[in-house]
Amino acid sequence: MITNQLALVRREIWEHRSIWVTPAAVALVVTLLTIASFVAASGFGETKDMAIILASNVSDTERKAALIAFLIGNTIAFLMAMWFLMIFYSLDALNAERKDKSILFWRSLPITDAETVVSKLFTAVILIPMITFAAVAVSQLINLILMSIWISAEGGSPGLLIWGSLPLFDTWLATFIVLLAIPAWTSPLIGWFLFVSAWTKRSPFLTAFLPIAVLPIMEYVVFRTSMLGDAIVNRFSMKTMPLFDLDVFRFFDDHKFRSAAEENISLLALLDPGKFVASVDLWLGMVVCGLFITAAIYVRRYRDDS
Amino acid sequence: MTSLVTAHGVTKRYGDIRAVDNVSFEIEKGKILGLIGPNGAGKTTLLKALLGLTDCEGQLSVLGLDPFRQRKELMQNICFIADVAVLPRWIRVSQLLHFVEQTHPNFSRDRAEELLKSTKIRRDSKVRELSKGMVTQLHLSIITAVDAKFLVLDEPTLGLDIIFRKEFYGNLLNDYFDGERTILITTHQVEEIENLLTDIMFINDGRILLDASMEALPESYVELVTSGDNADSARNLGPIYERDLFGKKVMTFEKIEREKLAGFGEMHTPSIADLFVAKIKGAAA
Repeated sequence: MITNQLALVRREIWEHRSIWVTPAAVALVVTLLTIASFVAASGFGETKDMAIILASNVSDTERKAALIAFLIGNTIAFLMAMWFLMIFYSLDALNAERKDKSILFWRSLPITDAETVVSKLFTAVILIPMITFAAVAVSQLINLILMSIWISAEGGSPGLLIWGSLPLFDTWLATFIVLLAIPAWTSPLIGWFLFVSAWTKRSPFLTAFLPIAVLPIMEYVVFRTSMLGDAIVNRFSMKTMPLFDLDVFRFFDDHKFRSAAEENISLLALLDPGKFVASVDLWLGMVVCGLFITAAIYVRRYRDDS
Repeated sequence: MTSLVTAHGVTKRYGDIRAVDNVSFEIEKGKILGLIGPNGAGKTTLLKALLGLTDCEGQLSVLGLDPFRQRKELMQNICFIADVAVLPRWIRVSQLLHFVEQTHPNFSRDRAEELLKSTKIRRDSKVRELSKGMVTQLHLSIITAVDAKFLVLDEPTLGLDIIFRKEFYGNLLNDYFDGERTILITTHQVEEIENLLTDIMFINDGRILLDASMEALPESYVELVTSGDNADSARNLGPIYERDLFGKKVMTFEKIEREKLAGFGEMHTPSIADLFVAKIKGAAA
């Protein structure tokens, strides 16, 4: 069972190279942008020197908050890429094998349909976030090292400006939790996408998104309510995730940012995993995901595509 | 003999159509059975039922297992090659070998590597980079390296040239078949497998028209080449099928004593292809 799962997940990495190519490409782009920003900043002469002096003289907590902001900014592109990756992977995962008829080969091996579908779900909700996290961590390290080199070259002290104040592991742990919480929160959508991927004979993308777009409109026209639309928007949005201890999306507002810095707040402290795990909405979503996954297994097992 | 497959009243419906219609048969261990039928006869549906790929009515047992409900256990002792090139095109040969090694308890990687040594297939090639013949060679090498009791081949040589086809069946006999294993083959190129088979089964419109051992065919069927008055006399004995050949009449008889036909013309055992046509057309007449 475990050996089969490992082999099946490895197969997903072989087949869907975008699982690791996309985060790697984002890491490369982020790094190139960082280098470009250093090159651009170097051209500002005195202003740049003043900024370094200023950064050296602010309090440790303010520097810490600024570094957290830098790391979050660094992560946003990865989060967006992970979102698209999860959607497109889930829509393709059980469809590609039917398109090229290789499903006949996979089903000729002693592996159950449930094992196969679960491996696809695992890839979408665990593997993709884990690889994304690895890419975020490596990218941030590279960027911080590059920043250190640049600060040294400009006469500043990277030990003081970066490494002395850097809450790196705290931020990484927070990032890791967020990256795992996102797929858990969006699991009903991922389950739906995997089901569509196993079921549709048409374009999985259109088949998946048409009801998502049309049903809320119909609900509004017929009942003048927007329960379905709200439920879908909530699952697409990080804002509604019951993970954050305060309105983290106002973190960058000047007032909040200052208070966060003054309170010596860490990114990890903004999260409340207990509240998230205890959330009824989270478990309801997982039940919906489970129903879609069961339907996907049923369709793969019973439908004759050959 | 031990029955590897037992089917009683097996039926598969697609809406109102019965792709397989109440068929009953047994396949014994150590046999090479040819399942022959025209397009749409129900061959592939029957194979899918045997492989647990589709559910069906009736009682069906393969290796003592319910194929649909115990497919995972079944697949440890059964291999198949389908009529379409089903190996995933994106995978590398080495990855494929590794995957099967990890997931199939009866697969021998060493055996597969040994079999592949005699081919031009490179381990770092992707399946999409191989010719159709090489893909079939690769697939056959993999399933030959599985210590399976039952091998199902559905049009395995479709689209291959004559050299690859001959090589395929040669390898099948030399590398896979050992008298203990059982093979079920469907193909349109009946004449190419005629000498391999121990048993034959004809299927048409979802029903079995013939289920016999190759040894029993000469006793049951005879083809008579005749002409003129002899043809009229032979016709009175009730041939199941008659055709013209270079101005002569060729009649196929079923379960008739050869002595009765003596003197009407030249007699011989019909080839599988001729018998197939006779049974199909005879049943339709």
